[in-house]
Formats: sequence, C-alpha cells, structure tokens
Amino acid sequence: MKTLLVAKQYIKNFIAKYEVYLKPLMKLILALASLMMINGKIGYMQRLDNLSIVLIVALMCSFMPMNFIVFVSAAFVVLHMYALSLECAAITLVVFLILFLLYLRFSPKDTLVVVLTPMTFALGIPYVMPLAMGLLGTPVSAVSVGCGVIVTYLINYIADSATTLSGMEAEEMSAKIRFVIDGFIDNKAMMLTIVAFAITIVLVYLIRRMSVDYAWTIAIGAGALADMMILLIGDFMFDTNVSILGLILGSIIAVLIAKLVEFFAFHVDYSRTEKVQFEDDEYYYYVKAVPKVTVATPSRTVKKINSSRKRPSGAQNRSKQL
Amino acid sequence: MINEDKVILMTKMAAYESGKGKKDITILNYFRGDYIGFQVLKAVIAATISFFLVFAVYIFYNFETFMQDIYKMDLLSFGKSVIILYLCTVGAYGVISYVVYAFKYSRAKKSLKTYYTNLRKLAGMYESR
Repeated sequence: MKTLLVAKQYIKNFIAKYEVYLKPLMKLILALASLMMINGKIGYMQRLDNLSIVLIVALMCSFMPMNFIVFVSAAFVVLHMYALSLECAAITLVVFLILFLLYLRFSPKDTLVVVLTPMTFALGIPYVMPLAMGLLGTPVSAVSVGCGVIVTYLINYIADSATTLSGMEAEEMSAKIRFVIDGFIDNKAMMLTIVAFAITIVLVYLIRRMSVDYAWTIAIGAGALADMMILLIGDFMFDTNVSILGLILGSIIAVLIAKLVEFFAFHVDYSRTEKVQFEDDEYYYYVKAVPKVTVATPSRTVKKINSSRKRPSGAQNRSKQL
Repeated sequence: MINEDKVILMTKMAAYESGKGKKDITILNYFRGDYIGFQVLKAVIAATISFFLVFAVYIFYNFETFMQDIYKMDLLSFGKSVIILYLCTVGAYGVISYVVYAFKYSRAKKSLKTYYTNLRKLAGMYESR
C-alpha cells in the first residue's frame, strides 16, 4: 500500500508541476474523444465528419473553459441531426435547450457529466457513472446523470432508426416528429436506466458518508450490486433486453474504475496549487502555494530573483518567489 | 523583512479572491432580495421559453388533429388549461430556484464573512507594527 501511496504522490506532484500544460491537454483529449465518438455514431453531415475540422475544434476547446466542450458537442449533434432531417434536429435542439435552461443553470460544474455519460455508454461501461458520481458528487448529481442518459438514448434511438427516417417523405413532417417522440418517450430501458442510476448514486453517496471502516469500498460494492439488481429486475418486469453478460462485465470494470477514483480522491483532498500575486506597501509578491505532501517530504526551493519590473515610485524593488 | 504570517494570510485571501471569492463578491453586491428576485426572474424566463418549446413540439405532434378539429374545438377551455399548466410549471420552477438561490446567497455570505475576518486581521498586523 505504501508504494501505491508513493506512486500516487508522484502523480500528484507531476500534476501539480505541469498543471498549466496538462489541463489543456486533458481538455483536448476529452474534446477529441467526444467529437470523434459523435462523428462515429451519427456522422451524417459529411463536412463535419472530417478529422481536420475535429482537430481544429478540439484545439479550440483546449483553451476554452471546460463547459465549451459540452456546447461544441451539442452543436455537433444538432448539425448531424440536421443533415439527417430537420425534424430530428429540431427535437434534439429542444431537448438540449430544455436541459440547459431548466437544470444545468443551477449546477454548471456538473455539465460535463452530460458529455461523459454518453461516452461511457459508447465504451460499454455506463455503470461507472453512477458509482463515480456517488463517490465524488452529491445526490443532486443523479439529475445530471439522468440528463446524460436521456441524451444518450435520444442519440441512439435516432441513429438506430436513421434508415426509417430518411425513407419517409419530406412532407410527412408531423409523422416524423411523432415517430421520434413516440420511440423516445416510450423507451422503458431509458426510464429503467435513469431510475437505477439515480438510486445507485444516492445509495453510494449515503454509504460513503457513513463513519465505518472502508466506507468507500462498501459503497462501491453495494452500489454496483444495487445497480445490477435493479437493472435485472427491471429487465424481467419490462423486458428491456439488457444483456446480462454485458451488465456483469461492465459492472466489474466499473467497480475497478471506481476503485481507481477512490484511490485518487480519498485519503487527501487534492487541492490545487495556487498561483497568486498581490502587493503591499513594500513588496510585490508572486506566491505559488503548493498543497502539503503527505507521504514524501516536499522539496521546497526558495528562489530570489531580481525582477526587471520597476515600481512606479522607484523605490527599492524586490520580488520574492516562495 | 518579510512577515511570513502576513504572506500566508494574504496568499489565502488572494487565492479566495481570484477563485471562489470572485463569484461570492458579485453575489453579495446585491441585496438578498434583489439577488434572489433577479435570479428567480431569469428562472421564470427560462421556464417560459422551455414551456413554449414543449408546447410547440406538442402542437406539431398533434398537427393533423388540430387542423381537423380547429373549428370544432372549444378553444377557450383549451387556452385556459394551457395557461393553468403554464402557471403551474413556472410557479413550481420559480419556487425551486428561489430555494436554490437563497441557499447560494447564504453560503456566499458565510464564506465572505471569513474573508472579512481575515481582512481585519491583516489590518491589525499593520497597526501593531
């Protein structure tokens, strides 16, 4: 365990040191993965299904705030839908707008979940979302994951029935809308998944907050089991065609990933390195505050540099870096 | 000489100022009633837009029935029920956002209070020099 903790410390130090470069890189990878998955699943618009455009947009995302990825992904989905049919684009746009207007205004931090949930679905490990959000978030995260599930099922449904939709005449606007909405709302698998994930998130959250030994591990196990049970029982009741092998394998992988999350999130809260600058009557301060390291001792360097910056008063100028 | 305590205090405060504090300060620029009222107003507008979007989809969904029955329908009672539904939706959403933003305001106030305590401490450091 000690070696693991040291390894974790190494990773944390590495992240703290290169955070300036790692953060844009992570955003770039996330945006790239999300856009490529969207193009792979519903690449109806030829002009967008193009690696150079995806790369340019992903590069843009790496310098923008995190939520820009969500915006760009939503725009890509709507544009692809537009290439398929106007009605699909309209319905998708309405669903996205309602999600943004009604829910995501309250918790802008959770917005990324709406992108991550469809991605985990595409990778076959959706069960990791409720476990991870139960560990890291609050019960309110259930709503965010629910939004993600809704978006996933909407995209999947339209992608699956693309041939039917493109076979319909252009004049049958009302029929197309009815077709999409009926199939979307009457989707028992979606309802079941939302309920199962919501219960799992609340359960994991409640157990991990209990003051017993190994609360996090118990929470992960209980959450994964509850999730599987609810999905299986729902499968028997509503005949939702849940693949049992996929469920078990996905849950096992989800538990492993959740353990990884626990390893990094538990023990110590990773608070970010803070870089601040301020001044008082005598000095300018350029301070880098590094969170204390728990296992290895930090190597702290105090550097004195002669700043080229002149103070307006022309008084003695020194800047310190701690 | 650099006063280390002062640097630590100032660093904490500067970190708060540039991070979470920025939001807290903008929130507390308003009086409580003004802030919550403004946010609830925005929520009501958002709910109104959402309601009309859903209503438009509903109309398109039942487009043919509407076209057939438009002269037979009791438009007055239909309009009445739509308005009641609209008021219920907006009212419920308004209440929810009132609770959320009241909570946000009190939380911002709490953490800004700590900040002001630190500020006083810092001022005390200057005076005791």
